[in-house]
Amino acid sequence: MKNFSRRDFLKTSATAAGGLVLSSGMLSAQKKGGDKINIALVGMGAEGEVLLNSIVKLPYINVVAVCDIWQPRCEFAAMRIMRELKQAPARYTIKITPKDRLTPLVKRGRIGEIKGENYKDLIKNHAKELDAVVIATPDFWHAPMTVDFLKAGVNVYCEKMMSDTLEGAKSMVRAARESKKLLQIGHQRTSNPRYKYARQVLLRDNNICGNIMACNGQWNRAVTKDLTWAEKDTIPQDKLKQYGYKDMNVFRNWRWHKGLGGGAISDLGAHQIDIFGWMLGAHPVRVMASGNRDYYKKPDGSPAHDWDDNVMCIFEFDKTFQGKKAQAFYQVLTTTSSGGGYYESFMGDQGTLKMSENPALTKLFRENNAPDWAPLIEKGIIGKGDEAAANVKVADSRESKALVSYGFPATVPGYEPDVAKKPIHMYHVENFFNAVMGKEKLNCSADHAFEAEAAVFKARDAIEKGPLEFSASDFVVED
Amino acid sequence: MKKAIIALSALAVVSASAATLKLQVPSAQLSGTPVPIVLDNLDTYKGPQKEIQVPDGVSNIAKGKQVTSSDDFPMIGELTLVTDGNKDGAEGCYVEIMDGVQWVQIDLAKSSEIYAIAIWHFHSQERAYKDVVVQVSDDPNFKNDVKTVYNNDHDNSAKLGKGDQKAYIETNYGKLIDLSKTPVKGRYVRLYSNGSTTNGSNHYIEVEVFGK
Repeated sequence: MKNFSRRDFLKTSATAAGGLVLSSGMLSAQKKGGDKINIALVGMGAEGEVLLNSIVKLPYINVVAVCDIWQPRCEFAAMRIMRELKQAPARYTIKITPKDRLTPLVKRGRIGEIKGENYKDLIKNHAKELDAVVIATPDFWHAPMTVDFLKAGVNVYCEKMMSDTLEGAKSMVRAARESKKLLQIGHQRTSNPRYKYARQVLLRDNNICGNIMACNGQWNRAVTKDLTWAEKDTIPQDKLKQYGYKDMNVFRNWRWHKGLGGGAISDLGAHQIDIFGWMLGAHPVRVMASGNRDYYKKPDGSPAHDWDDNVMCIFEFDKTFQGKKAQAFYQVLTTTSSGGGYYESFMGDQGTLKMSENPALTKLFRENNAPDWAPLIEKGIIGKGDEAAANVKVADSRESKALVSYGFPATVPGYEPDVAKKPIHMYHVENFFNAVMGKEKLNCSADHAFEAEAAVFKARDAIEKGPLEFSASDFVVED
Repeated sequence: MKKAIIALSALAVVSASAATLKLQVPSAQLSGTPVPIVLDNLDTYKGPQKEIQVPDGVSNIAKGKQVTSSDDFPMIGELTLVTDGNKDGAEGCYVEIMDGVQWVQIDLAKSSEIYAIAIWHFHSQERAYKDVVVQVSDDPNFKNDVKTVYNNDHDNSAKLGKGDQKAYIETNYGKLIDLSKTPVKGRYVRLYSNGSTTNGSNHYIEVEVFGK
């Protein structure tokens, strides 16, 4: 086992950050925006807003254009950029009302005009000045948009899932290879300093879990109503159809519909299933899965959504980075937000690492037969133990006693207090822009992200094709 | 008490001189993963607001009235949404004004006796707005004769004076400020906030002012 030192980790990080080992990223180091990176934003819904929250904090960004076919969201993005970056991006959207609410600001030069309706208009007008585009549209638009921007010579940050089809995702990988432009996919945990520290320092350098034989992850949410909209903001039906939506309800709830999104296992699960493979350093070899559409019914009782509300699946790995077999259980529920938040646990014979984007949910548990962790605490590799966490009365002598929980060190390298204040998506967005500037390698290239896509698509197939069905006779002992 | 048969929009009249004010609430519209709400002076209650007794003839006198704001160009939506009578939590039903200490102000058109004020900032996600201060005055500039009827700015960060009321979690039930025992008179109602536990922006779905 390699002896860990903080210096080693920082050196490793700095090497990556220093851009000494760059591939296609170097080809994009020539910025079109002079001192700034010229970007466009396409798709300004909930996820687009999450990314915008990080982008407006980056002083080297110049937003040339924003595009969302839904006018209120396009307006919102343009207003925030005007207010927080003092920039006036051109707008691309469907005009729901003939009068533009922002006309007074356009006249004062504080906000850009509506110059077109969609991303193709945007490419036509701005491709030559763009260094990058950030795409956060519904999944089924990811592949055509990404391919078109890459072909136009623009580096792309695209949200996951890469596509609603495997072929779509493959087309994105191929377009990135052919264009030699950058394509980062939005699995933001791969840029999170705490996740990187856990993967390299805890699991690999210090083998803190021993042999990892199992993983367990979840992201549970309460069942809620379909997203709605204000009547005044309804997109005309002919426009909805033109852009692939049956009606306004489907436009607002595209995540649940085949041909547009992939349901909860894709929206939420893809993040964590990606982390299973990334942490274990392996692809799954088998998957079994089960899912149900328990809510969202039409008046006649038939399902109103195409994808399952609740999914549970098990991935099997034949050879992890430790050369071991492992199983990973994952559940995503649209029933209850109980169950202890969202996390991914890596369970070994000497300890368990419970990771979450929420630092408060991140814990380490030491098995009683593991080597003493005191030296690790002394070196600052992990935090002190919380004996109180193990102080749970057992009801029976056969019951396993609760384990002492340990935290991360007070300061994880690369996650100093000022860095820790950043929004959780910001590390990944910064990694992309640093790669555009030739300073870093992408943390989640299309090739890497495709591995998670393949795992999620296969899990969804397994729901329909894989599980064996029980019959009533299976539970009956015949005479 | 004798029950009367008249029912105003949000009022069930129960006698000739007093009525029970029960807020009409929109359906719940929560979405996404719940986020932690961390605030020093937080009241964690998330249920319906209590019913109160108000004089007969009291109604929502804010509906359709003019709204102005410290931010004259909202990030999203329009100020008219604050008094349009729609409390739905959907996208497009709220107005978002800029970061920091900001206010919206309702002109009731004439000086009125106010018995309660109800607020829905945002309810598709549980969150708490900071430094919520509600004032009533006959002065549109709020320089003279200002009556503060609610203030949860426990550390005076909004510089409007320290308040001892608790911050609260937004839900579809709204927040009712009960002034029935100590009604105040004024033409203008001004509501301050200073972002929320989710982000720096300030949102309003609806404000109702019950008076006559």
